[in-house]
Amino acid sequence: MSTIIENLRQFWYFTGFANATWQNLAMILIGVLFITIAIKKGWEPLLLVPIGFGMIIGNIPMFPGLNIGVYEDGSVLNTLYQGVKQGWYPPLIFLGIGAMTDFSALISQPRLLLIGAAAQTGIFGAYLLALLLGFDPNQAGAIGIIGGADGPTAIFLSSKLAPDLMGAIAVSAYSYMALVPVIQRPIMLALTTKKERLIRMPAPRQVSQREKIVFPIVGFLITAFIVPSGLPLLGMLFFGNLLKESGVTRRLAETARGPLIDVVTTLIGLTVGASTQADKFLTGNSLKIFLLGLLSFVIATTVGVLFVKFWNLFLKGDRKINPLIGNAGVSAVPDSARVSEIVGRESDPDNHLLMHAMGPNVAGVIGSAVAAGILLGFLG
Amino acid sequence: MMRHSKQFIITVLVLSLAAFHAAAQNPSDLLIGEVLVENTSGLTDDYGQRNGWIEIFNTSNGTVKFGGCYLSDDKSNLRKYHIPTSDRAAQVGPRQSALFFADGDASKGTFYTNFSLRKGSTLYLVSNDGRTVIDQIEIPSDLPADYSVVRVPTGVKGMDFETRVSEKPTPGSYNGDVDAKTKSQVMKEQDPHGWVLTLIAVMVVFTALLILAFIFGWIGNANKRGQEGPAKPKKEKKTADGKMTPEIAAAISMALSQELGGEVYAAIALALDDYLSGGIHDIESMVLTIKPSQSSSWANKTQTFRQLPR
Repeated sequence: MSTIIENLRQFWYFTGFANATWQNLAMILIGVLFITIAIKKGWEPLLLVPIGFGMIIGNIPMFPGLNIGVYEDGSVLNTLYQGVKQGWYPPLIFLGIGAMTDFSALISQPRLLLIGAAAQTGIFGAYLLALLLGFDPNQAGAIGIIGGADGPTAIFLSSKLAPDLMGAIAVSAYSYMALVPVIQRPIMLALTTKKERLIRMPAPRQVSQREKIVFPIVGFLITAFIVPSGLPLLGMLFFGNLLKESGVTRRLAETARGPLIDVVTTLIGLTVGASTQADKFLTGNSLKIFLLGLLSFVIATTVGVLFVKFWNLFLKGDRKINPLIGNAGVSAVPDSARVSEIVGRESDPDNHLLMHAMGPNVAGVIGSAVAAGILLGFLG
Repeated sequence: MMRHSKQFIITVLVLSLAAFHAAAQNPSDLLIGEVLVENTSGLTDDYGQRNGWIEIFNTSNGTVKFGGCYLSDDKSNLRKYHIPTSDRAAQVGPRQSALFFADGDASKGTFYTNFSLRKGSTLYLVSNDGRTVIDQIEIPSDLPADYSVVRVPTGVKGMDFETRVSEKPTPGSYNGDVDAKTKSQVMKEQDPHGWVLTLIAVMVVFTALLILAFIFGWIGNANKRGQEGPAKPKKEKKTADGKMTPEIAAAISMALSQELGGEVYAAIALALDDYLSGGIHDIESMVLTIKPSQSSSWANKTQTFRQLPR
């Protein structure tokens, strides 16, 4: 009898109930919250569901040494986590993004690239603020990239510059991407006048197939020569786009933008979520990162809108740009472009800004990859 | 004939590139990193003895196997010590070192040479062909005991090397400044508030995208000029009221080409709401076709059915 009791006691020590801490339970609740938001509100469900469930997995209290945790060498989760840690997943996601992105809106109005550049100020604004809060430059760079509103880029850069902060940075980036409509709309309304919101932009011209094919090649050559450290992201992004636009690699493009990106998104979301173990995630630094992430989105949106307003001072007639597309310079594709459209139609139901906003939106993807390359070059 | 020529050129090109790649991680990336001749108070070998030693440094960022190469201190006999090919340990990781003890007794193992080092001699690292000298280093005749001749990486890339005599040998360790600061630490000192990096980064991002904007502006203009030329007149898509509607064409085109659920619905809904509610359509009246993705033969379920034997 005593043997049975002793064995049951030993078994109890292995259970989650015996090893649970309030931090574990708090993180599990956050995971449940993510899943709830994704299902109820429909905000970024493809990301928040895997991340939320990953959080639950990663915070199941366990007896250490069983070789099952995400930070235990050789465990299944650890093996899958290598794609995040070594930075394989983000370039593969960029391959899929390239294969699904139509750059026509940008090619037809290349001047809108500059809005995408202006919105990257959010990255560097957050970098400056992070330094002020006492982070080291490499950590500040990794935190700043949240302002690019690009989850894979944030994971890629933080895995290189500040692996310890990667969980908080990735969760912060994806959370705020889900909240783009909530964050951006009031800023856009506050910074623009009714007259500015009514600006109508001329329809973009139709883009030839040749231009669409040339774009990924020339775009890659220029950006990669200027920032070679951005090669993994830029190379895959433009390669994916070439697969899409070449017209002769339809199957490869469909795989890249379909099954491949689905698999990688599932794995990246799950493992990033699992990496947020309470002892590593529930720290003062995580709170600061969430605050800085929010500020980076605010800065990016503000600068994007103000940049267009400033630019308009030098433009005449139908060359003027509706400042409501300034927010779309962050690379949360296509959510921020949709926000432009929705806010624009609140002022003028017949004024469709979606196509125009897609220009700076996809420029933001390129811009954030370039910015990540610069930060990696200086701080990596 | 022409076709064969093209194939030949492409093959040569591919092989050249492959050879170039291979050259990036072969014994030619090795160099003699450090040599100590008279060891009176330094590192002991696995047998507890103090002997001279030779450090081989891998300058590349990939692992290099050096089994089959040779070490020698005699130019007339470059094959003096043959590093065993069969030893899997005969490799060195990226920017790492391997250490050989030069005690004149190769029977002790792979990393023990069959010759001892002499002051005033030249040490050679020879490729596995036994002829090509990969690297050589001259040992000064007045080298004091426990001093080493060391090659220290210099320059931004750390790919240039400066030969020095060092009173603090570092066998098997990196020969550069072991206290060297990380880039982040350097930035913290040079740019504590981050303004310099911010300014540079913003300029670079703008420059990169500005160049792209100029190029595609130019390509777009050239394309438009080409279209405006004396080419055959193109049939314009007109709406029901006769006005041009590039918005609807672009919106539907964009949506269809993306083949994404949400985007497709959003763009089509916007386009329809704006223009089609008035009975306007681009080609066919009130007909819009969304072509689903075509399955490849790999994904085609009908081709995976197996007929049961009767």
